Amino acid sequence: MPLEFHVLRGIMDCDAVKENLALYVYDELPRSERDAADEHLAGCERCRLALGEARRMQELMSAGPALGPTPELLVRCRQHLEDSLDREQLGWTGLIRKWLPGFALTQPFRAAAALTLVALGFSLGWIVRPRTIKDGIGPRNIVGSSVAGTDLGGAQISDITQVSPDPQTGQVKITLNAARQVTLEGSLDDPHIQQVLLYAVRSYDNPGIRLDTLDALRSGSSNPTVQAALLYAMRHDQNAGVRVAALNSVPRMPWCEEVRGALVDAAQHDDNLGVRDEAIDQLVAHAVAAGDQSLVPVLENLAANDSDRYVRMKSARALRRLGQEP
Amino acid sequence: MDGACLELAGKIPADGPPLAEGDEGVLIRRAQGGDRTAFDSLVRRYDQEVLRLALRVVRSEDEAADLFQDAFLKVYRSLDRFRFESRFSTWLYRVVMNVCFDHLRRQKTRNEVQAPEGDPGEPEYFHRVADDRPAQDPEQTLRAKEIGRRLKGALTRLTPRERMVFELKHYEGLRLRAIGELCGTSEETAKNCLFRATQKLRLELGDLV
Repeated sequence: MPLEFHVLRGIMDCDAVKENLALYVYDELPRSERDAADEHLAGCERCRLALGEARRMQELMSAGPALGPTPELLVRCRQHLEDSLDREQLGWTGLIRKWLPGFALTQPFRAAAALTLVALGFSLGWIVRPRTIKDGIGPRNIVGSSVAGTDLGGAQISDITQVSPDPQTGQVKITLNAARQVTLEGSLDDPHIQQVLLYAVRSYDNPGIRLDTLDALRSGSSNPTVQAALLYAMRHDQNAGVRVAALNSVPRMPWCEEVRGALVDAAQHDDNLGVRDEAIDQLVAHAVAAGDQSLVPVLENLAANDSDRYVRMKSARALRRLGQEP
Repeated sequence: MDGACLELAGKIPADGPPLAEGDEGVLIRRAQGGDRTAFDSLVRRYDQEVLRLALRVVRSEDEAADLFQDAFLKVYRSLDRFRFESRFSTWLYRVVMNVCFDHLRRQKTRNEVQAPEGDPGEPEYFHRVADDRPAQDPEQTLRAKEIGRRLKGALTRLTPRERMVFELKHYEGLRLRAIGELCGTSEETAKNCLFRATQKLRLELGDLV
């Protein structure tokens, strides 16, 4: 029995003290037993040495680098949890409804869906039928053209807006939108590339694509249009990871009032701690590099008044780094 | 009974001042009724502390992220079974402890515990953690890394229960009574676990003292 006490009339012997050193150093001995141990230790050098060793061991185990989650890890965990909870709460059909607002299985919608499926079947038949006429590849306006001999040229039907059978002639007129996959390649100076990237970063609903787009845009951060898009992402993107990535572009941007404003806003008001953390880092990096003391009041305000303890501590540390006493 | 358990929970509410119990009760009831926003608010109160604890136990960001997710999903699925008989924080941390326990047990069973040296070429978690404490000279940094490496190895050789008790006592500073409650065992068992853990660690790391 390791923790059995050899206490007789309030006095501990050497074995009892050694067996209870762990509880002693972690302050878990009851008062009476601690007093008994103290009494023994006062007169026993061997046990005092053992106690010293136990305390050094305790310090040693605290000597490794501090372990704590980085803001990025926290952001990642929160994001994954949110996704999992969405799946849990809504199920897959619910998720589709969430992603496609307005998608409801109402009676008219069911009828339209059935009609669309029939039309898709027809279209698929046309696409896979034996080819007799080779058409060139390129965007085409199918509306109004004769179905016979029409090839979709690898385009995918994204939307069918009208199917009109003509009982007189037996012809069917289908009005649809078709999309073709296009690969664009070029430098960031290419206006087409730039246009698509700027569209993606502002409007595309896949955060992974927006993140990749930011990576692509980062090298052009000095371009005012690109900079405006990055600032937009910094302030308005719904995904915290994307906002952090946009903040990472700041060192490449020319410093101006808009950049400062976006950073200060993010540091003060973003609802994600990881984003706030990154924004403070960027503010401090600029203040150190440019000797910009105008940011000191911002940091002082965060250090004194922010509701989040981590932000207060981080801002206070930043102030010390800038030679200011918080 | 579980006041002591709240030492951990009371440490750091993630955002803003701690909620009054009544406020938290309202959030819990709303979350039990399916209000996702209320559940998200509860998560935000505790998620940093839960992640820190998970990271402390597994010392790997990826594994900690998995534990974080498992724990909160478990809480979400079983929230309707919370009957306000204990504090919410105690109940939550018990769930987290169970998830951590299961993880450590699985590691042991599958014999997948990482070797102390780690896989060749794989950076040690300790080495990747930013240490922004002041006055770190290279010698101190090197020693901290060495201690971290040895300590990680030594901890993986403890039993899951010894490991949890030691982590909660040494790093979280909880009382043994609270640890017993969180781990679903008695204070006496927690004492014995702490004793065995410190003995084993002393044998493994004694040469560093």
